[in-house]
Amino acid sequence: MARPPDYDVAVLGAGIVGASAAWHLARRGMRVVVIDASGPAAAASGASDGAVSVASKKPGVMARLANRSLAYTRRLAEAGGPLRGVFGDRPSYYLATSPAEEQALGDLVAKIAALGGPARVTADGAKAGPDGVGPSVTRCVALAGEGHMLGYAAVAAYLAQAGVDRLWPVTVEALEADDAGVTVSLTDRNLRVAKVVAALGTSSTALFPGLPVTPRTGQLVVTDRAPPGSLPGPLTAASYLVAKSASPGAPDKPPVVIDPLSTGQFLIGSSREEHGDCARTDFATVRRLAARAAEFWPALRARHVVRIFAGVRAAVSDGLPIVGPLTQSPRVVLATGFEGDGICLSGLMGREVAAMVAGEAVSAGAEADIAALSPARFSRREARAR
Amino acid sequence: MAEPRVLIVGAGLAGLAAAVGLARAGFASLVVDQARAPGGAIHRQPLPGVAAHGLPAQRRRWQNLRAEVTAEGDRIEILCNHRFAGIDADGVALLTGERSRFIRPAAVILATGATERVVPVPGWTLPGVTTVGAIQTQLKTTGEPPAGRVLLAGSGPLLCAAAAELAAAGNPPVAIVEAGRPFRHAADALALPAGYLAEASAHLARLLLARVPIRCGMHLSRIDRHGDTLVARAEGGGRHLDFAVDRIGLHDGIRPNGYGAAGTTVPVALAGDAREALGARAALEDGRRAGAALAARLAGRPVPPDMSPALERERAAQQRLRRIHAHDLGARLVAIGDDTVLCRCENRTAGDLRALGGDPTDRELRLRGRFAMGRCQGRFCGEWVRRLQGDDPADAPLGAVRLPVRPLPLADLIDAGEPDEEN
Ligand SMILES: Cc1cc2nc3c(=O)[nH]c(=O)nc-3n(C[C@H](O)[C@H](O)[C@H](O)COP(=O)(O)OP(=O)(O)OC[C@H]3O[C@@H](n4cnc5c(N)ncnc54)[C@H](O)[C@@H]3O)c2cc1C
Ligand SMILES: Cc1cc2nc3c(=O)[nH]c(=O)nc-3n(C[C@H](O)[C@H](O)[C@H](O)COP(=O)(O)OP(=O)(O)OC[C@H]3O[C@@H](n4cnc5c(N)ncnc54)[C@H](O)[C@@H]3O)c2cc1C
Repeated sequence: MARPPDYDVAVLGAGIVGASAAWHLARRGMRVVVIDASGPAAAASGASDGAVSVASKKPGVMARLANRSLAYTRRLAEAGGPLRGVFGDRPSYYLATSPAEEQALGDLVAKIAALGGPARVTADGAKAGPDGVGPSVTRCVALAGEGHMLGYAAVAAYLAQAGVDRLWPVTVEALEADDAGVTVSLTDRNLRVAKVVAALGTSSTALFPGLPVTPRTGQLVVTDRAPPGSLPGPLTAASYLVAKSASPGAPDKPPVVIDPLSTGQFLIGSSREEHGDCARTDFATVRRLAARAAEFWPALRARHVVRIFAGVRAAVSDGLPIVGPLTQSPRVVLATGFEGDGICLSGLMGREVAAMVAGEAVSAGAEADIAALSPARFSRREARAR
Repeated sequence: MAEPRVLIVGAGLAGLAAAVGLARAGFASLVVDQARAPGGAIHRQPLPGVAAHGLPAQRRRWQNLRAEVTAEGDRIEILCNHRFAGIDADGVALLTGERSRFIRPAAVILATGATERVVPVPGWTLPGVTTVGAIQTQLKTTGEPPAGRVLLAGSGPLLCAAAAELAAAGNPPVAIVEAGRPFRHAADALALPAGYLAEASAHLARLLLARVPIRCGMHLSRIDRHGDTLVARAEGGGRHLDFAVDRIGLHDGIRPNGYGAAGTTVPVALAGDAREALGARAALEDGRRAGAALAARLAGRPVPPDMSPALERERAAQQRLRRIHAHDLGARLVAIGDDTVLCRCENRTAGDLRALGGDPTDRELRLRGRFAMGRCQGRFCGEWVRRLQGDDPADAPLGAVRLPVRPLPLADLIDAGEPDEEN
């Protein structure tokens, strides 16, 4: 006989997506436990940049969802919200050094106009960049309204406010759903819960073997401190806008983002490699990133690299995240596959996942875009193949 | 491109001895050192025009080794003024300096020596407070002791050695504050190898002559700056003493410094203090051993054991030295107040560590606590963070030590060019 549930919901994974979901669930009055194999922000959310950006998203579903999440994240950062002091607003700059990149910036301007805010173009032209941009930059688009938050800081902020139980380091080894609830098998015991949110990032395939999620590593460079404020916002190569939709590889001129941190340090990122080894870094790749970064912002040449590290993104075969209840076991809601966009999407996704768990409708106007993320798209495809 | 050589990092006793060991087995090596000239910590070479220092026996040991290196001709190349930034997952090593470059060595020997430990006390980051080793380096390279009143504090045989060198150079320290009680361990002291005893008595004779007081069983509890003067308070055995000085050297032993090759694919070996901090005599012996062992490994021959009777002797002597200087480190750490800086790079205090609460993961210590995230990547603060949390410092540093080994000028990285794709 099934025992009464220990919790209303078990959130598996204390990354930014799990933490946001836990906060949204707890706010609905549910009893929540967050379980992680190592601890908060142990995987991608603790090894990434934190751009909350719509400019870099593929037009269509991703751009619309990112835009919604940007607007919502700004609200979560207002007085009384969980992300106050964590999310910050700042200008962002997109730079071109070739005709193809200039063209990509033209597309960007059109995309931003179509989204209708909160991001808006404040300047566009050869001289629209901040002082100190390199001489090879031929066009710059400056935006207002985008922002930044560090993944680990957001995780800590959500969990500090959520009023949830925490369980780590504890690995979830299996899930078994029945009509009354879900049994969560941990290393040393079982938990009985009514519902599960599985926000396991790249490790999702260990529990859900059929998911088309693959690891895609990115290397990042952290510099020492410059006087804070020398660069007002991140510089992004326009080729980055193209690369997000193109196939990965290591081109000679890699797409690069130079992100000024509040400490005065710079984060230079990031490469895309088809493996999942977060300990693997190589000089050739980071040198190409550094060289391209210094072309955009020559003052970087005076900085020192203090650390090179890698994070692993969860990439999905069709480029869209996987969010929604499992067809076979609707008590289990998946939220994974955010690849390079999970910091940006985490606010909105936490809210929508909580609505799904509560059996409520998702946000009005976003129904079709959220339905596009459903894991059911893969079972349909499988069915057709059979 | 030339046959891939072995890269040896560090041109101290261990590095050069390893190069000789390899050369005698037919393997060529490139020895890199960030210093201006070979020598390492103990045979650090003076600036041009400055007289050489050190005891005659030590100088002879160094000259003999240099002659052995010379005898190997072009099998050993020494490259000074260049720093090893690390070797990556592809087996590419980055050397930076006047001409930064990538190389693909056949193997790496880290003979990078040891670094000093300093138990944090309030004020240890003030200007004028350095490690004892930094004072020694100044003395060895310029021939000049630091000006004004000098205080040496901490624990270990280096305090007396450095104080004797200062005395010989004409500026003995106003006092030595030693946390242990070395003079109460006569039996252990007399059982030390003769060379150690001779060195120690030479130092002590100098200190006696210069009337340098040695305050045993005491440690500094804080350092303050009043105008131009540093005021250090020493406590222990229920009393305290204040010292008003111009310069303070702190030292609590040394720890191995073999970083930068954790994630690579080529064979990596450690030699000398980088493997185990056993001092100069062992470094020479261990360098020879490491060179011969790596040569055997590269040639596919059986690898000799990694200890020898001579190394065992040095290890036993170092253990004896540790017993002689033993003291209650726990009591010093418990007294560390919230305002004491633990991580100098990111200015993080004991209070910041305690504010993380309960039982933070290494990830949280790094990301939220910002420990081990600065220039030194936790090589200095890691042990104290661990100990304050009641954990085994053998686990330090916190998490993986990442590339580069030291802060790397971005311009040097860019100017190194593309790593050679062939080979
Ligand atoms: C280099 C790089 C740069 C990036 N830059 C940006 C950016 O600028 N903007 C942006 O929006 N996004 C960015 N991202 C992407 C973003 O970091 C991720 O999309 C996001 O962090 C994913 O969060 P998550 O919660 O889904 O997964 P994760 O953070 O990976 O969390 C998964 C958690 O699940 C736990 N877990 C796994 N298996 C188990 C198990 N069996 N039992 C219990 N727990 C388990 C793990 O320990 C981990 O804590 C970047 C990523 C990288 C790598
Ligand atoms: C501060 C200090 C004082 C000491 N004083 C004494 C003493 O008085 N008497 C005594 O017997 N022993 C003393 N020792 C111990 C003695 O110096 C060592 O046992 C001996 O020098 C070890 O030799 P080694 O070759 O292993 O390392 P070292 O002599 O330390 O040589 C290491 C070399 O590696 C180089 N190096 C390190 N990192 C890099 C890098 N990334 N790139 C390029 N080069 C690099 C350094 O410049 C250095 O030249 C002292 C040690 C220290 C740290």
